Amino acid sequence: MSEYRLDCLFEACPIPLLKALKQLEKMKIGEVLILHTDHNCSITNVVEWTKKQGHYIDYIEISEGEWEIYIEKAK
Amino acid sequence: MTSSKIEELKRQRQLEQRKRGNQKPYAILLAAFIVVIYLAFTHYNLRFSSYWLIGILIGITMQRSRFCFCASFRDPIMVGSTSLLKAIILALFISTIGFFIIQYKAILANPNFAIHDIPGHLHPVGIHTALGAVLFGIGMVVAGGCASGVLVRIGEGYMMQMVVLVGFLIGTFLGARHFVFWDRLLVSKSTTVYFPNYIGLFPSLFLQLVLLAALYFIADWYDKRNNIMTTV
Repeated sequence: MSEYRLDCLFEACPIPLLKALKQLEKMKIGEVLILHTDHNCSITNVVEWTKKQGHYIDYIEISEGEWEIYIEKAK
Repeated sequence: MTSSKIEELKRQRQLEQRKRGNQKPYAILLAAFIVVIYLAFTHYNLRFSSYWLIGILIGITMQRSRFCFCASFRDPIMVGSTSLLKAIILALFISTIGFFIIQYKAILANPNFAIHDIPGHLHPVGIHTALGAVLFGIGMVVAGGCASGVLVRIGEGYMMQMVVLVGFLIGTFLGARHFVFWDRLLVSKSTTVYFPNYIGLFPSLFLQLVLLAALYFIADWYDKRNNIMTTV
């Protein structure tokens, strides 16, 4: 299983989402993308978009005001 | 929606995590501070006390709901999602009814009203409106937030938007300083359009609500059929 990391610290909406979907394009089914962000608007943004596309997604807060979003490419 | 791989990654990450500090004392301190200021205002300036309270409530609502004017106009085009645009339309729907009640009362009290006596922001409309809207829209999408969005995010500690705040202050300062020039050039030459003057208060309320409802259903339909970014 391979994982990809994307550093999206200090990136405003919608850059994290755009970076994520460019990376997802290159990935194979079953691979996981880890998005590191400090912008909690982009969580709503990314989660909503990914769910609509039908990929698996979840996120946790790793320290105050910093989150990791996990996306598994499903199709 | 989650998967076993994601659950595994989350579990690993949670084990690595250091224990986080308790933020409750800060919350209690801040709440006490808010109440003290509020009480001071009720004593010295009753008007400010309601501004203070309404401002804080709007701030809390905007932060918790992740309400963002910028995303609401950007996301439909960029990612084909209109959930925030629908929220804005609903907000306009509610405020239309609210303003109708306020203006209805004002007009009942004073039947021979002049336009600038009516409560609400009734301003001349013209080419300057479109020009300003385009400028504001470009700035808002580049900066990643409108005025209120930027302030809310600075408040929650999102550092990047401090840079935006500097530009925001420069812009507001220049705008206020040169307003007389723009007023003479464009604003004062345009007319203020107030629909109830032409078709009556009740028909214009009805018209606006019907239009907003139509926009809402178009936005809803657009969201369901659109997945623009899937092909990029």
